[in-house]
Amino acid sequence: MKVWTTSPTLAAVATELERRFGPRLLERAEFRGELTYTVGPSDWVDMLRFCKDASELAFDQLECLFGDHLPERTAAPLEVVAHLVSHTHGHRLRVKTSLAEGQALPTVTFLWPSAGFDEREAWEMFGIVFDGHPDLRRLLTTDDFEGHPLRKDFPLQGTVGGRIRTDLRGKI
Amino acid sequence: MGIADRPFHHAADSEVRAALEHGAVLQREAVLRREAALSRAAVSDEDVLGGPVRFPGGIAMPVQIERVLGFGRSFSFWPLLFGLACCAIEMMALGGSRFDMSRFGMEAMRASPRHADGMIVAGWCSIKMAPRVVRLYEQIPDPKWVLAMGSCAISGNIWDTYNVVQGIDSLIPVDVYVPGCPPRPEALWQGLEMVRDRVKQSAHAYDGLRRIPAREAIAEGEAGP
Repeated sequence: MKVWTTSPTLAAVATELERRFGPRLLERAEFRGELTYTVGPSDWVDMLRFCKDASELAFDQLECLFGDHLPERTAAPLEVVAHLVSHTHGHRLRVKTSLAEGQALPTVTFLWPSAGFDEREAWEMFGIVFDGHPDLRRLLTTDDFEGHPLRKDFPLQGTVGGRIRTDLRGKI
Repeated sequence: MGIADRPFHHAADSEVRAALEHGAVLQREAVLRREAALSRAAVSDEDVLGGPVRFPGGIAMPVQIERVLGFGRSFSFWPLLFGLACCAIEMMALGGSRFDMSRFGMEAMRASPRHADGMIVAGWCSIKMAPRVVRLYEQIPDPKWVLAMGSCAISGNIWDTYNVVQGIDSLIPVDVYVPGCPPRPEALWQGLEMVRDRVKQSAHAYDGLRRIPAREAIAEGEAGP
């Protein structure tokens, strides 16, 4: 296989992942020494678990997990992106998956507990449901907020979705 | 000549003095307008200031004494240590050694609303934060003054979105507005000088809004049988 990454440790990551997953990796990209793989939603947990557990990879930190809304992709408009960091080897990896409207993705909170907040935020902002999440509540907006504000079809202007709850001021 | 070469003391001080003088002119004009309006409407100064403060038992405090108290209060105005967003950085600059608001007895920014005389709403207020801001305001003991700092606190600025309160004066009564994005420390300084003037006059933004139960009970007792 052609080694197409610049960093030797990242080349080892690519070799390991492609040996293990092969055709299940739908897409790969390299940009300025950063490596990105796209997998299907059914391979999401397998891929991330392997990334964490394999000793050559050892991605011990989930740096960021977030959603994305691309309405021009009508079949799968939603996207989830995970950024992984290995403090053992000092390398990084980005893993993506595409979801159809209303399709749920299994949670990865059992791998990295920090995914709890990230998945809550992705659900709140984009309406991406994470199956098995222990506490899928709103994080940044009020509990009675309606809608998912970072979706492209959410109104850009005007106080919509929520209201000011001054009646709650005795409880906080 | 670059900004680093500029003799800071002279240039900045004269600019500040000019700005303060301009503010004083505006204020004098406002006072003249108010006096003219008072003479037209034939109401007393006491009506505008809310009348003498009455303690339970009916002992009245004359307006003159309240003014003496206000004069004293104006030299130790302690704002609440409360920053919402980027305007708070300029507020900290005013508290630092370069602008040094401790010259006016304002450096003691209290972290507890129970110790504070007022609050500077510095920055944009989210809809989730709004009940907390109102609660902090309610926890400040009377008398209290509010300064809205920056475009976001005044009107929401460009953030006409799902998450931002469109002007903090929709939630709490505001005494002084300081526009800017963010305002320079000098502007906040001028705003605090205007707050000090209101402290001296014992004038409050909530004068027309507040209900004081003790005062209402006295009024009911006087009007009753």
